[in-house]
Amino acid sequence: MTATPVSSTPRPDGSAGPARARVLRGVAAAVGRRVAAAAAVMLGAATTAFIALHLLPGDPVAIILGPSTMASPEVRAQIRLDLGLDQPLIMQYLRYLGRLLQGDLGDSYQLQQPVSALIGDQLRPTVELALAAIVVAVVLAVASAVATAGRRPGLRALANLWELVAVSTPSFWLGILLLTAFSFRVELFPVAGADGFSALVLPALTLGLPVAGILGQVLREGLETALEQPFATTARARGLSQTAVRLRHALRHAAVPLVTLSGWLTGTLLGGAVLVEKVFARPGIGALTLQAVSSRDMPVVMGVVLLSALVFVVISTAVDLLYLAIDPRLRAEGGGRGAQPDQNHEEPAPEMNKAGMKGAQA
Amino acid sequence: MRLAKPVHLLFAAATAATLVLTSCGSDSGSGSDAGGSGAGSGKPKAGGSLTYALDVEPTCFDLQVNQQGITGDIERGVVDSLVTVDAKGVFHPWLATSWEVASDLKTYTFKLREGVTFTDGTPFDAAAVKANFDRIVDKKTKSQYAATLLGPYTGTDVVDAHTVKVNFSKPFAPFLQGASTPNLGFYSTRSLSRGPDALCAGGSAIVGTGPFVFSSYTKGQSVVLTKNPKYNWAPQQAAHTGAAYLDKVTFRFLTEDTVRVGAVTSGQVDVATSIPPSDTKTVEADKGLQIRKVEDAGGAYNVYLNTAHGPLDDVRVRRAIQLGADVDQAVKTVYFGQYARAWSPLTPATPSYDKTLTNAIAFDPTAAGKLLDEAGWTGRDGQGYRTKDGKRLTVNWPWNPPHTREQREVVAQAIQADLKKIGVEVTRPALDIGAYVSLALNGNYDLYDFSWTRFEPDILRGFFNSASLPATGGQNAANLKDPQVDTWTEAGAATLDRAKRDDLYGKVQHRVVVDDAVVLPIYIPTKLVAIATDVSGLTVDPNGKPLLFDTWRS
Repeated sequence: MTATPVSSTPRPDGSAGPARARVLRGVAAAVGRRVAAAAAVMLGAATTAFIALHLLPGDPVAIILGPSTMASPEVRAQIRLDLGLDQPLIMQYLRYLGRLLQGDLGDSYQLQQPVSALIGDQLRPTVELALAAIVVAVVLAVASAVATAGRRPGLRALANLWELVAVSTPSFWLGILLLTAFSFRVELFPVAGADGFSALVLPALTLGLPVAGILGQVLREGLETALEQPFATTARARGLSQTAVRLRHALRHAAVPLVTLSGWLTGTLLGGAVLVEKVFARPGIGALTLQAVSSRDMPVVMGVVLLSALVFVVISTAVDLLYLAIDPRLRAEGGGRGAQPDQNHEEPAPEMNKAGMKGAQA
Repeated sequence: MRLAKPVHLLFAAATAATLVLTSCGSDSGSGSDAGGSGAGSGKPKAGGSLTYALDVEPTCFDLQVNQQGITGDIERGVVDSLVTVDAKGVFHPWLATSWEVASDLKTYTFKLREGVTFTDGTPFDAAAVKANFDRIVDKKTKSQYAATLLGPYTGTDVVDAHTVKVNFSKPFAPFLQGASTPNLGFYSTRSLSRGPDALCAGGSAIVGTGPFVFSSYTKGQSVVLTKNPKYNWAPQQAAHTGAAYLDKVTFRFLTEDTVRVGAVTSGQVDVATSIPPSDTKTVEADKGLQIRKVEDAGGAYNVYLNTAHGPLDDVRVRRAIQLGADVDQAVKTVYFGQYARAWSPLTPATPSYDKTLTNAIAFDPTAAGKLLDEAGWTGRDGQGYRTKDGKRLTVNWPWNPPHTREQREVVAQAIQADLKKIGVEVTRPALDIGAYVSLALNGNYDLYDFSWTRFEPDILRGFFNSASLPATGGQNAANLKDPQVDTWTEAGAATLDRAKRDDLYGKVQHRVVVDDAVVLPIYIPTKLVAIATDVSGLTVDPNGKPLLFDTWRS
């Protein structure tokens, strides 16, 4: 998906007519393709992680026990046996895949709990954190971009500055600054934990601010491009206020790159959560990942890799669906009816009315 | 993190209140405790709760499996042990009212206290002792630490309901110390039957006889202990009898130093362990806090010199390294004067510590240079390093950054710079855990560093006995094979006679530092604990475990 508006000729509504069954089949096929692609991505991720972890030097049992240990040779042998580490690598891999097919992610070497249960327990706080962060990021980015795009240079420079600072500040440091200010000095928020809303504020800001910076920059760029388009002029000529033009018309155009980027950034928030969860002593996938990677707890690392692959697949699907909601021209292309020759078309197509927009045509 | 050396994790160490605890509270006034025992002014009163910030979260709560000291810190209030030990190393009754040790030190017979019950209602009796010890040594348990405390254990005989006989295949003097640790404390037989996963996961599956009940565990966040109202079997060393004062204790896992310090200075937690030395000033400046300094018992933070590798197979080169590093200065600078320099492989809080070693290997670069000349390292290369037959004098000191704490890498840099001045190149490859561990196993290093917490000089057997080489899973990182040291450490494990042990372990310490020159002691691991001034009676036992039983809020 690109940010340049490229559209097809407006055509009659696709859902009407006798072709409903065909459309349903088309949808089923599309869903099937998605699921197959997702499975392929997950298999690829699992295999890559498995190979990478086994290429790293060191005896897994010795790593589990750590550098200074008193564990006897009998204990070492028992661990090796229990974890199936005495088997050839290919057998370990096939057994892993076999268990995976049954939905069994294995047991953590270090925590001795089923990986699925661990991830299940730790998922909620991380999802809360990531959602809160993305809300913070999108709200701040939209507010900052809509308020400043194409406005006075001073205002613009100011917005640019805060965005640049937000992007460049390491979240680790930002977290500690926020804690020092709002937890240690002014005791507004608790230092750590995951109990309730107040414990979510500072971590969400820490995780969301840098993302807001990136999104704000991209969105302003998109808005300014859109505002220079003829349809913006037309809309203004019809007597719409500046704000209405920005919110109803330009924003919609600029939203496509925003959604693309937000989707991708939401996926990477999992990585960002590692630092934020550590600083704020929050439970979550990030904390679990950190522990698993540093102690090379393979089943947990594999579980987290699969989870992030799944998250990316889900998010990219959601993003694709959002494109359809934002840009009606794409809806026209879909449905398995084959692509139409593209024409350069600057303004949104008539279907936009269905999405609740009015009078967008030039 | 499990991988950290066990030592790392062992919290606050030794203590015993009066001997080792140094109170250097905010400043004179502000209710810092009188006798150093942590007892504040006023009369203890029951009630209230305590929030205690820890720097490490356990990977597993099963004391019988996990080697992390932090697990014992948390569960010291949940399980009781057969005996308790005082700062002098003398054992006192706890769940055992009396005991007899066979003259060959192969059997220990304990009379158990009657009327003790686990918090799930099952009685504590001889069968429970047997079930716990048997489970620890069962290879399916995969015990990484507790099993070593039982050493050559062969089995427990239930003599009658309240008498047990614990048997060993060899004389085993360190057993009583092991029996005083939480790792040889007792879980109810019913909780043992719930399987290893349940115990590892903590929470209400962990059932002991202690003054507190393990109520809940939230991963990544906290552990909650609540008072056991029926508790009435505290050891005589405790300051009171009956149930604990506190209704609830919450351990919070705040692994980030800045956050832990911020949490305690802003009053969001009442106690915080492992305050970085650089932050002690901030904490001391706080009227509502005092800093307690607790020196660990066990192995100091030492650098071991590998006798089986490279240039260090020559004792003169090893001695030169001992003399050529200005350890005093490095420790003072890096730790802001909060940690003391170590002179022996053991810390002063450990029984049989040899204090005559103080200044035995004081900084002397001239003498170090002379030793290197004698050893034939007389040439110099372009960068000023010594050479012999065209080969540079290089010692390799690998490290693993994620498991390096307390700024030990900075101390190493100082040593590196000092040794450069006498013409020795120290290389410091940073390795990932896998590479680091395999290198430790195959002995492919010149210097190797670690500390080790245990209130028992028998650890010297692990560090220096030739039966404990790293290749066979031991800790003898110097790969020392000294028949004298072997004899002495084995004799020490076979006697309970204090004077004999002092003599034997004193000889071992002197031998490995001065004669064999296989160890360069650096500093004494010290826990700096910040405690709110309204918390009284918080002490730490000689094993380094916090005792919450006598703790109360004023």
